[in-house]
This record gives sequence, C-alpha cells and structure tokens, in this order.
Amino acid sequence: MEIVRKAQAGTMQSSDLMVFLEPAPQLRLEIDSTVKKQFEHLIRKQAESVLQRFSITSGVIRISDRGALDYAIAARLETGLLRACADQRTSS
Amino acid sequence: MVVNLINERDRNLARALVEENGFSFEEDYDLLVGKFEDGELVATAARSHNVFKMICIRQSHRGGGCLGALVTALINSCAYSDIRNFFIFTTLENRGAFEHLNFFPLVSHGNICLLEYGQGLLSYLQQHRELRLAGSNGAVVVNCNPFTLGHRYLIETAAAQVDHLYIFVVREDRSLFPFDVRMALVRAGTADLDNVSVLDTSDYAVSQVTFPGYFLKQDDDRLQLQMEIDLLLFARKIAPFFGITRRFIGTEPYCRTTRSYSDTMPRILGPEGIQTIQLERKLSADTPISAFRVRKALKNENYEALRKLVPATTLEFLRSAEGRKLLTASKNYRRRH
Repeated sequence: MEIVRKAQAGTMQSSDLMVFLEPAPQLRLEIDSTVKKQFEHLIRKQAESVLQRFSITSGVIRISDRGALDYAIAARLETGLLRACADQRTSS
Repeated sequence: MVVNLINERDRNLARALVEENGFSFEEDYDLLVGKFEDGELVATAARSHNVFKMICIRQSHRGGGCLGALVTALINSCAYSDIRNFFIFTTLENRGAFEHLNFFPLVSHGNICLLEYGQGLLSYLQQHRELRLAGSNGAVVVNCNPFTLGHRYLIETAAAQVDHLYIFVVREDRSLFPFDVRMALVRAGTADLDNVSVLDTSDYAVSQVTFPGYFLKQDDDRLQLQMEIDLLLFARKIAPFFGITRRFIGTEPYCRTTRSYSDTMPRILGPEGIQTIQLERKLSADTPISAFRVRKALKNENYEALRKLVPATTLEFLRSAEGRKLLTASKNYRRRH
C-alpha cells in the first residue's frame, strides 16, 4: 500500500500515542516519546514491522508516544495507514 | 468528552474559568474547546493557528486525563490543515505537564517557557544543514516587502564584514508581497553576492508564534516579552547551528515596534555571544529608503520614484503582469510592514 494523503490516528492520553502520516518520496519514521531514552528502539521495531506488513516504502510517519504498549502502537499505526492509503473503505 | 465551545453561554463559562485562573481571555482564537461534567465546565483550551493557549483545568480535575484530552482535541482540529507543529507558552511550573505530552522546550526566559510539539525546529535545521559553513558568520532577518536598495545596501555591507551571511526572510504571509515573491526578489537581488545564503525563518524568527506583535498591535509589556523570546530563540537555537556571531540591522526611522526590537537586540544577544551591528540606512533624496516608501510610490504608480528605491530586479517584477496585480492590492494595504 502507499501513503497518498495526510492522516492521523490516536490520542495524547497516557499509555496511548498519536500517529501522523503524510506522503513523501522516501520512507522516514520519526519518534517522540516520553520514554524515548528507554524504549525508542522497541517502538521503532514495532512500527517497522507494521510498515513492512503493509508494504509501505515511502512517506513520513511521525509517532508521538506516551508509553503505549506494543499492541496499541500496532493498532494506531494500522488505523493511520488505512486512513492515509488509497482505496480503503475505512479511510476517512 | 471535549467539545467545541461555540455559543455565547459556553464562551462566557470559558472566560470565567480562564479569568479565575489569573489569565486574560484572548478573543483571537481559531478554536475554543471545553470539557463539561454534570453541566459544569471543568476545563477549557484554545488554539490560535498553531499556538495553544488559555489551557485551564479546574483544580479538582487536575492530574487525570483532562490535559491529554484537551491537547488531543486541539491537535485533531488541525488534521486537515497544513499545520504540523504546535506551540505553547507556559510557566516553568507547568512546563513538566506539557513535557509529558511530548512538548519540547525551545527557550526559557524568566518564568516563561516556549515549548514545541513535533520536531519542527529540528527538521527546519536539518533541511538547511548543507548551508552550514565554518567561519565567522553573520545574519540578517528581513521581511523585504518588497526588496529595496536599502536591503541591498544592508546585505552587501554586512556580507563584506563576515565569512558568510545568512539572509533569513520572514516566512509569515501577512505582507502585501506574498512570501514566495519576497523570497524570489531577495534571491534575485543578491544573486551576484557569492558569500550569502537566502533561507526562510519558518516559525522560528519574527513569526506569529515568536513575535505576533510585529503583525498586530499589542500592549508594550507583551511586545517586549515577545521580542526577548524571539531573540533568545535566535541566539540559542538558530545562530549556533549556522555559526552566526553577528546580527546586522538597519537604523529604523519609521516603525516604533521595529525600533524597539532593534533596541532590545544588543541587550539580549550580547550575553549570548552575538554582536549586534547597526548600519545607517541608505538614503535616497536625503530620506532613508524603506519598503514603506516603495509601497507608497507603487500605490501612486510613481515609477520614477521607484527606480531610485529598488534594484532593477525588483523594478522588473513590479512592472510584470504579476507585479501589476499587487498594484491593485497596494491601494487598500494599510499594514505597517
């Protein structure tokens, strides 16, 4: 799938995260987190596995995390991708 | 649930809550939101373009999810806009609460702190990293509405005194000449100088965030604080990245706000290791050249006067089809800059 429009998902509540996506020529993943020092590598790993599953090879993905668990990261990113990619019935 | 506060009753409740918290209720917001519980407004927040303000939560509701919910609502309200980074001015005491929401401190001044959500400053600097050059460099921050022989003189003189000169063009689109035009005219008017780089200020200098009083009239105390924060941000985040040790300005004969900014400059930049160098304005017909004079001459379609105030590159634009469109706009233009 390809990111074709600007989209976002999630909240800034504790233990949640917001994901911001937009089209770009290259793939870039930016991570802000209240626990960035300890967990940036794990957040990145989790996000990358979702991106891979969706075959995303371009776009800017910004994550603003407040200590979300793995499955929350995956869920928010999936929702964001469905909104940002073309030909998805769930897009908003 | 956080809701938009639209009707007069809700707005008055928000006003009361804001004033109870010791802040003044500012009408210049784009969006006002709030959270009700049992019919009582327990929290409110507002957004003015990319700046969050008037965030107030009743004492009894602090420490829970209220702040996160308010900030989420404000961020979501920009989902379909081109705003990517958000700013907030807060006190040192409340800074921590925003840092827990991934706001990063840009600059602190006394008890006031400016924070940013999103890595805007970082990506702005990264975008321009190829412009970094070693040496003793200088900077000018200019609006150039439009580019005049006065700007040319300031830039040429400054460039001769430094290894490299960075020309920061004000990004904010609140001038007669649109940003793209101002930028293009600065580039064209300085193309022959080989030690200058032209770049935009983004949100980080003389912007609606750092210095709203430059564009809209505000009271003196607020204006002073804004100028100081604007200058500290320049000194601490922008100047070190580009190796800037000198900032050049022209004398200001007309605008009180700009003059006050110039007066504040050495006092704030000096202790941060940046020298302020003020140059006398270039004259034409014994009167300082200014963009204001240019706009006036344009309005009167006095091309003979324009020829003496702007370089050939700007004149050429003013006479083009695109430039002539702005002529009509200039007739109704009342702003100071």
